[in-house]
Amino acid sequence: MAKKERIKYLFVGPGIIWVLIFTIFPLLYSLRLSFFHARLGRTQRFIWLENFGRAFADYRFWSVLEVTIFFVVCNVVLTVLLGLVLALLVSRPLRKPLRGQRVIRSLLAMPLFTAPIALGYLGLTIFHEEVGAVNTVLRALGMLNLPAWFSDPWLARLAISLVDIWQWTPFCFLVILAGLQSLPDTIYESAVLDTSSGWQMFRYITLPLLGPVLFTVTILRMVETLKILDIPFSMTSGGPGMATQTYSYYIYLTGLRNFNTGYASSLAYLLLAIMLPITFFFFRRLRQIYD
Amino acid sequence: MAAEKKRNFGTMVIWIVIIIAICWAFFPFYWAIITSFKPPGVILTKPSLIPFLQFKPTLFNWRTEYLARGREITAALINSVIISVGATLVAVSLGTIAGYGLARFRFHRWKNKDMTLWFLSQRFLPPMVTAIPFFILMKTFHLLDTRWALIMVNATFTMPFAVLIMRDAFKELPVELEESAWVDGASRFDAFLRIALPLAAPAIAVSAALCFAFSWNEFIFALILTYKKAQPVTVIIAGVEHTQGIQFWFVATRLLSAILPPAILVLTVQRYIVRGLTFGAVKG
Repeated sequence: MAKKERIKYLFVGPGIIWVLIFTIFPLLYSLRLSFFHARLGRTQRFIWLENFGRAFADYRFWSVLEVTIFFVVCNVVLTVLLGLVLALLVSRPLRKPLRGQRVIRSLLAMPLFTAPIALGYLGLTIFHEEVGAVNTVLRALGMLNLPAWFSDPWLARLAISLVDIWQWTPFCFLVILAGLQSLPDTIYESAVLDTSSGWQMFRYITLPLLGPVLFTVTILRMVETLKILDIPFSMTSGGPGMATQTYSYYIYLTGLRNFNTGYASSLAYLLLAIMLPITFFFFRRLRQIYD
Repeated sequence: MAAEKKRNFGTMVIWIVIIIAICWAFFPFYWAIITSFKPPGVILTKPSLIPFLQFKPTLFNWRTEYLARGREITAALINSVIISVGATLVAVSLGTIAGYGLARFRFHRWKNKDMTLWFLSQRFLPPMVTAIPFFILMKTFHLLDTRWALIMVNATFTMPFAVLIMRDAFKELPVELEESAWVDGASRFDAFLRIALPLAAPAIAVSAALCFAFSWNEFIFALILTYKKAQPVTVIIAGVEHTQGIQFWFVATRLLSAILPPAILVLTVQRYIVRGLTFGAVKG
């Protein structure tokens, strides 16, 4: 018995050690760095919490935080809403599933697996002010003052948001659809007998039952959007000015362009601190599911 | 009759919405594809959307990219393939055995669910927290600009998907098959290898597809950890914009080369995708 049981550590051991080396060790290393005045290749000096104090006095810190929060709020709300509407349209309780549903699902999943960095460059050509696709269409529709996507701060943010929303709406759609289809038909049957209207059915039956699924997509999208970097990197390089420079982008510039590794690590830890409560709620839910 | 009509009308509305959604999902791809077939001169002078009618498609850009300038893109594609396959092998092997361990054994001091969250933790960290340590680590071990560095990094990032998908897959396999093998004297490892593993093949394929796609698409670590020899496709797309403004035509050929492999691969798998991407929080 004892011998047979011991083998279980051989199964999980390698993975656990891998995580220890490649996740926990770097995490602790950067925690240490965040308390130092450190630049690559120079001697380090322990400075307690000075890096964190510096962040709060750094106008760039507040600017990138604001930009990132804008993307989180705008993109998460819109992707989840669009995904929900699409999923509700396609799911059709009590009726035969739509013909070709599997094909539709696969086709709509394609944006999900395209490299965000490539999408940024694609966005650059789509929103190009003279010969981009968007302005070509707008011109054909007779618009005279074509939007200058990359020189106006809000338009630049909007363009990035649109690309990100384009990429992630399918994810929300697929997950919410899976959630809808796992709801038992019986609840709808009784509702139909009660002659509830479509809206009532959605408001009082579907929505509450869908709660956990919506919670999951929202949290996952929030966590991923808080890390957003690739699309602004390739599409606007953070510009105009710092209008689209996101938090991760700023950490990258500080730590790996200017090699101010100590300050960059403390910035990274501040981001982690923002993500921690969100992750906490999600992990609490996962613990219940994993039982 | 009226109800029937209403139903048909409803179906029509649904199809219209679906078609709009599919067009919306495909428009950027369409734009990239037509741009890649436009003659360079036309791109910056005459904006256009419809091939043949508005411009004459040409293979010029593709030929220049793959034949004239060939070495850069083929080297990058080879790097991408080696890195993604290597990372997938590591992530899926470790993920499969860990998933089996979590599904079939009970751990007491450190509970199964907490161990599963340990594997997930990576996905919830901002990558920039680990980027600087990774850079210093790879520099110390002289692994900068090697494929090894990116294999390790991507294996770390994608392992959570593999662990979660495999854990769920093994949980769904009836344990009786393995039990009868144990009775016949097979060791637990034998039973895992000979019985559980082949039955879990579809889930392994899905894990592999996901790990491959995410490794292929990873950009920021590739940018930080490589500068020449080991650059994957995601990094070399960045090389096209500098000298003379954006060169639309090469942006198009390169980003299509970068986008298509994972997108097509993932088209082939359906099951477990939602479950894998939500870490088991949503079944489907």
